[in-house]
Amino acid sequence: MKEPNYKKIPAGREYYYRRLFSVLILIAFFALMPGKAFSQSQDPKVLKKLSLEELLNIEVISVSLRPEKITEVASAVQVITGEDIHRSSVTRLPEALQLASNLQVAHVNSHDWAITARGFSGLPSAGGILANKLLVMIDGRSIYNPLFGGVYWDVQNTLLESVDRIEVISGPGGTLWGANAVNGVINVVTKSAGETQGLYVSGAGGSFLKDHVQARYGFHKGSTFFCRVYGQRFDQKNTFLENGMSSGDAWNMTQTGFRMDYFPSKATTITLQGDFYEGDENNSIKRAITDGQNVMAHLTHLFSDKSDLKVNVYYDRTWRITPNSTQPFSYNLNTYNFDVQYHYPIGKKQNLLVGMNYQFQQDKIARTLSPLSRNMPLFSGFVQDEIGIVPDVLKLTVGSKFLNNVFTGFEVQPGARIGWTPNMLHTIWAAVSRAVRVPTRFDADITVTDKKFDSEKVIAYELGYRIRPLDRVTLSLATFYNHYNDLRSLDKTTDPKFPIILANSQKANSWGVELSGNMQVTKRWRLRGGYTYFDRYIWSTNDNVLPISVEFESIDPKNTVLLQSVLDLPKNFQLDVMARYVSELSAGTLAPKTPAYFTFDARIAWLFRSFEISLAGQNLFGDEHTEVGLSRIPRSIYGKISYHF
Amino acid sequence: MLALKKIMRRSLCAFLFMCSALLSAQTASTVSEYQVKAVCLFNFTQFVEWPATSFPAEQSPMVIGIIGENPFGTYLEETVADEKVNGHPLIVRYYKRVEDIDMCHVLFINLNETNKIRDVITGLKGRNILTVTNQTSSSKQEEIIRFFIKNNKMQFQINLEAAKDANLTISSKLLKLARIFTP
Repeated sequence: MKEPNYKKIPAGREYYYRRLFSVLILIAFFALMPGKAFSQSQDPKVLKKLSLEELLNIEVISVSLRPEKITEVASAVQVITGEDIHRSSVTRLPEALQLASNLQVAHVNSHDWAITARGFSGLPSAGGILANKLLVMIDGRSIYNPLFGGVYWDVQNTLLESVDRIEVISGPGGTLWGANAVNGVINVVTKSAGETQGLYVSGAGGSFLKDHVQARYGFHKGSTFFCRVYGQRFDQKNTFLENGMSSGDAWNMTQTGFRMDYFPSKATTITLQGDFYEGDENNSIKRAITDGQNVMAHLTHLFSDKSDLKVNVYYDRTWRITPNSTQPFSYNLNTYNFDVQYHYPIGKKQNLLVGMNYQFQQDKIARTLSPLSRNMPLFSGFVQDEIGIVPDVLKLTVGSKFLNNVFTGFEVQPGARIGWTPNMLHTIWAAVSRAVRVPTRFDADITVTDKKFDSEKVIAYELGYRIRPLDRVTLSLATFYNHYNDLRSLDKTTDPKFPIILANSQKANSWGVELSGNMQVTKRWRLRGGYTYFDRYIWSTNDNVLPISVEFESIDPKNTVLLQSVLDLPKNFQLDVMARYVSELSAGTLAPKTPAYFTFDARIAWLFRSFEISLAGQNLFGDEHTEVGLSRIPRSIYGKISYHF
Repeated sequence: MLALKKIMRRSLCAFLFMCSALLSAQTASTVSEYQVKAVCLFNFTQFVEWPATSFPAEQSPMVIGIIGENPFGTYLEETVADEKVNGHPLIVRYYKRVEDIDMCHVLFINLNETNKIRDVITGLKGRNILTVTNQTSSSKQEEIIRFFIKNNKMQFQINLEAAKDANLTISSKLLKLARIFTP
């Protein structure tokens, strides 16, 4: 059939109907836009006319996410609640991580920490900068840095009073989060501004914690806008060396910040938050200055109790310099990040989570690496499907993350988890995942050769069991077997300019058990704790690998035990104790072994009206001890008064 | 070229139609969760018996209290306006702390931390108050009624022991619609 001639404007009915059809479609499209649903307000008279039975049969939009019970989650997760942190002697974020028994947390010196999960914290004498397999986030903002693949723990000083919980997931989180969640993910979640209203001030001082002042004020406007501002400053004294002399690592830090939460509708939350810090630390004879700023905007929109959209944008800058040494060292990192996550159900049994992330990092270092400054764009996307094979009983989660990074290009991180919850009492779960550690600047840029540093890969097999034998007791057991490929190694070369380079000529197998439990012994007494066992076998894939490569990657304790007791005494007194045992770090080629240590913290507090007066001690067993490296951590006792109105 | 234009126009229409169908699937006529909860609270006042000592006089009000943020806006007040149960007019009160709760018959505890909820319930020991909460992650229920949403519908779970401790009698009409909590 020949095409009609459209060159002249068609007149008549045919044209009219075609236009009408298009207009109707457009009307239908806009009329059914989701925005409408939430302004739907049912007159109470209408709902009151229904019988209770009919009322329970209406389709409801929930504006509160169904909280996933921890017994249903198919992974090795431990949660440190704000209450656990409050009922302990910890004063800073890295100290709070001691309360998760599936983490290896070692206090290196007054300001540094070596923190990892499932091993590979590197050479003890490196003081934690070789621990590169853990992703850490605060409210969804990654604090992992691409310089050495770890965290500068000295500048992570979120007000502990504002922390709602810290989720510690040991095992690969590659399928949802970044390219370095190889051994675990830590997510620090702060309370919403609405939960931190009123005035909070506290002052503390003691033998190791010289002083610590905190203030926070929260206010709101109606029930849709909540805000808080806070400030804190602390001075911490030095640790000691073997010979009893000071390590010269005293330091101080001032941090201030804010958070605003705005609820334009019942289903939407907009959050804006930021922190600004500046600190001064001593490192034996050198002095370092650090400063940083971050600001983040977040939007969550709930479509139903199973469907939501999250958008996150943040900017983070961290900078440090050692100005007075003969060779000044400085490092500046700018991070721009944008991510979107969309969660929606497919049919009755499936829940799909898709996301996309673009992160641009740009850093500048004073020396040692080549190039001195690098632009590092990172694109990633992920897809995850949660399939309720038997709803609430058997759940399979499959997904994968795809990323493109400036060092190794395209990487894939698939994973599958299955969880079986036969009844409310227990869950058995199993998982297989592949995760990738993208090279850091240290790996890739410390030498300039044509041999590029490749990403490390891990395939992790996990099996776990969680049980609630009595209502007051939860126990969970997680076991894992990891196989690492292309693990970092130190290889000797024939190149006279670079006789030793970083390469990927090692492989490793690691395995372990993580046991944790929580028990409400009586109404006033709660116990929580755990035991972790870890071991590994590392071998090289060619003859050029230097033997020190093994300890460069991993000297980790085999056994770690944690026990925390929280007790409410009569007359508003509280007695809280936390005990830890970490087994020895074996000797290396260059360093002697670090002996096993046992220590405990204790805290006594008295609540009087709006005041809390407490006396707390950390590392009370023995004068001092070494956890990793050379410094000896002293016993610390401090008094604290806080006021909450 | 002209045929292409026609195809494009047709597919744009089809696409828009699919979009609207997809969007409408998500927005089938539904009611806000808190409106249903408000009317449920109103219903509870009619299916629960309080001991005579809870009401000092025949005309004294029956109080529905809310502790924590008020999630209902004015909806709950509109629901109970001018309503009476056994001659007792219904009123709504808002509390910040447990100590502030004087005469109260139904208390909606809008808090999300289980230990905070536990503190409130312990503070109300021995009193004749019907405690109601949202769904929480705790599998142990100390409150008398807990709302939860299943298959996008409002449901609730009743703890009979807690009701007995508070000296409240729950009508069988309410019990048969609820899930009973077994510790």
